[in-house]
Amino acid sequence: MEKIIINGGKKLSGSVKVSGSKNAVLPIIIASILAEGESVINDVPDLTDVHILKDILTELGAKVDFKNNIFRIDTKGINTWEASYESINKMRASVLVMGPLLAKFGRARVAMPGGCAIGTRPIDLHLKGFESLGAKISLEQGFVSATSEKGLTAGKIYLDFPSVGATENIMMAAVLAEGTTTIENAAEEPEIVDLANFLNSMGGNVKGAGTNVIKITGVKKLKGAEHTVIPDRIEAGTYLIAGAVTGSCITIENVISHHIKPVIAKLRDCGIEIEENDSSLTIKKIDGIKATDIKTMPYPGFPTDMQSVFSVLMCIAEGTSIVTETVFENRFMHIDELKRMGANVKIEGKSSVIEGVDKLSGCQVKATDLRAGAALILAGLISEGKTEVFDVYHIFRGYENIIEKFQKLGADIVHEKY
Amino acid sequence: MSRKFDETVHFKINAEKDNYIKDVLENVYESLTEKGYNPVNQLVGYIISGDPAYITSYNDARNQIKKIDRNELVEELLTKYMEK
Repeated sequence: MEKIIINGGKKLSGSVKVSGSKNAVLPIIIASILAEGESVINDVPDLTDVHILKDILTELGAKVDFKNNIFRIDTKGINTWEASYESINKMRASVLVMGPLLAKFGRARVAMPGGCAIGTRPIDLHLKGFESLGAKISLEQGFVSATSEKGLTAGKIYLDFPSVGATENIMMAAVLAEGTTTIENAAEEPEIVDLANFLNSMGGNVKGAGTNVIKITGVKKLKGAEHTVIPDRIEAGTYLIAGAVTGSCITIENVISHHIKPVIAKLRDCGIEIEENDSSLTIKKIDGIKATDIKTMPYPGFPTDMQSVFSVLMCIAEGTSIVTETVFENRFMHIDELKRMGANVKIEGKSSVIEGVDKLSGCQVKATDLRAGAALILAGLISEGKTEVFDVYHIFRGYENIIEKFQKLGADIVHEKY
Repeated sequence: MSRKFDETVHFKINAEKDNYIKDVLENVYESLTEKGYNPVNQLVGYIISGDPAYITSYNDARNQIKKIDRNELVEELLTKYMEK
């Protein structure tokens, strides 16, 4: 068992470098299944999820090497189109293997993912997309199968909701399909653009990524490619808010500020002065924190992944703020833990109403999911006394070297096994 | 006078800016090519979506293009295209 111990109250200083994006790198590594030959992915964060994916791809028959943030993968040896329950159960994103396997072998069989901590996240939109490409879908004994013996053909797909996973899975399936596929109401997240960049550098023909209409013209085959992953916008936002909440003028390096515009805008609404440089952000001045309302939305709206972390800032803001979650149905689990630390919060349906308090106090808390865990670390940084965060394995799924990075910024934080 | 009064007259009041845009586009184009991308597709993707992730960070290309307003970029490209 592991826990993170934080002695709160220390100001942060200096700079922190953001790692490659977790949400971009997982589909990019999976997309390499489509290539004939070796792909090299740079700036890959050393995260639990990446190691799980490495194991899954090895199980499928790929040769994989991951060191010094460089992921090399040769997918020539992949000889199965089935992803086991164990694989899917370890990491939800592994359901994205379905699109590439279907494109490559004309069939794919993966275990149906169950619900997860933050909501049900069904894959019906993924399956709707595969059907539009001519695949036959069947469900049996907890597995979903997609088959298209004559190969996939282009289709026109309207997504009922701009699902990131569905957009990615359909893009990867369509890249080898015959003809031009159109995805309407597609997700517009930067991670979709990064995946399109990788597919195109492998020889694919994907246009419109980053808008709500994506067109994919199928090609006969793809080659291996080298790619550098975009910086993690959620990690960048987390450290920016860490600076704001602790009243510290710190610099966040390796950032594409365009990707966290809503977070920067909301911090400015709170009265925090932020300077945007070429690839860094610096907090220049914090003169009190004013309460502000936020509402999570698909990109380019305020990211749901930043909701819990931003809520910590609102816990000590002057006034009342309303935080509304519209993307996932069960994403207020951190609130009960924050209340134990002295936060004044009420949950009303899809919103939490936060009345700012002067201070929080450290205690033992539990990370219920990845972003909730990050929120509790930030709460620990500003609490009086000692905070112990348990179930920290969630945090290591998404934040590379988070302990070392906060230590470098001057935080009193350690990771302990017990 | 050879020029008619109802004819549109083009004044080059900001040649420096035009040159800057041209220089940046050339650097971005070369950087994308060197990194193995189709530079036209990547630039179109950037202009349409506004996402800087379309442009490689290699050779400072991403930072350079971010400094140009996308409207001005399209204006410049259209102007050059329509020039006789």
